[in-house]
Amino acid sequence: MPLPMFGLKNESAAGGKPVHTIAIASGKGGVGKSTVAVNLALALKRQGLRVGLMDTDIYGPSIRKMLPEDRMPGQKGDRLSPALSRGIRLMSMAYFRQENEASVIRAPIANGVISQFIHQVDWGELDCQIIDFPPGTGDIQLTLAQQANITGAVMVTTPQEIALMDVKKSMHLFDQVKIPVLGIIENMSGLQSGGETVYPFGKGGGKRLAREGGVPYLGEIPIDPLLCQKSDRGESIFEEEGPSTSAFLAIAERIQEQLKGLSELGVGAFEMQWQEMGE
Amino acid sequence: MSVYQIKEIKQKDNYSFSILWTDGKAVDYRLSDLQKLCPCANCVDESTGERKNNPDLVDEQVRAVKVQSVGRYAVRITFTSGCSLGIYSFEDLRRYFT
Repeated sequence: MPLPMFGLKNESAAGGKPVHTIAIASGKGGVGKSTVAVNLALALKRQGLRVGLMDTDIYGPSIRKMLPEDRMPGQKGDRLSPALSRGIRLMSMAYFRQENEASVIRAPIANGVISQFIHQVDWGELDCQIIDFPPGTGDIQLTLAQQANITGAVMVTTPQEIALMDVKKSMHLFDQVKIPVLGIIENMSGLQSGGETVYPFGKGGGKRLAREGGVPYLGEIPIDPLLCQKSDRGESIFEEEGPSTSAFLAIAERIQEQLKGLSELGVGAFEMQWQEMGE
Repeated sequence: MSVYQIKEIKQKDNYSFSILWTDGKAVDYRLSDLQKLCPCANCVDESTGERKNNPDLVDEQVRAVKVQSVGRYAVRITFTSGCSLGIYSFEDLRRYFT
């Protein structure tokens, strides 16, 4: 008969840890991961969730531009408090660099920064934390997979083959570290032009990838000039109705359904200190 | 994707712990048995897969300093013998200890 738990530090039960942590990943750069991450965060917030957003692209952070802060992040001792923008709690390397200043740092330092974002930021109570992954399948992605207690990953792709190829590699990474893929979002799907839809990057790539990978297809986001303009100005697309607005809201709902449908999540992150017990 | 996750983990006595898996199966793990199977690069030759540590020399009374999760797929055990690099995947924990 097992004795009671001793010294079990369950991070998710220790307070301040999110109920769900969602990775927004792709493997490929330039498919719109950060745009998707920002607007999913806004959509989930609009649906009543408490949302945090962690920008882990140390070398090319872009979230701050799209979500200008209402409150800057703070620091007290070795603890950080997140920035706040439109009710979303944010952390990004962008707060620690000038806008045009590059992060010229080697991987171990970048990993250290990521670990700080995971363990030393007081996020407060969150229903959902979104992690905007950097492109690739390397060191930082592995650190995040091992330390961030990720509930599931949402893959972002554009329809063309060259993007699908990299997304498959990223899906393989998540398979290796046993993080379930919640589904695939096809970004830059089609463009409304002269009353008809044109598909400059091809058609149906995201659906095909979902079918081949046996994962849900969460939806597509059209090429929307409004989305581009609003992102560049740091404004929310949810202030007015547009094709991408409804797409993000529908995708956010599907993600919530997927999270509910996940089988038991288990104990999550833990650290059990060994105790001396009677012989 | 691993079918199983850890639902509960408890220290059982000085030398072993138990895991209740999400499929309801409960398994006891003795630390000395785990160290004999340590998958770290010091204990297994990475290129040949040949075991470098001699399982017969593992102390049957070996204890842990801590047991911690690695993502959602494995645990890492810091043994009192000093070995702390092995990552034991959930799949291996289910495969070798039934």
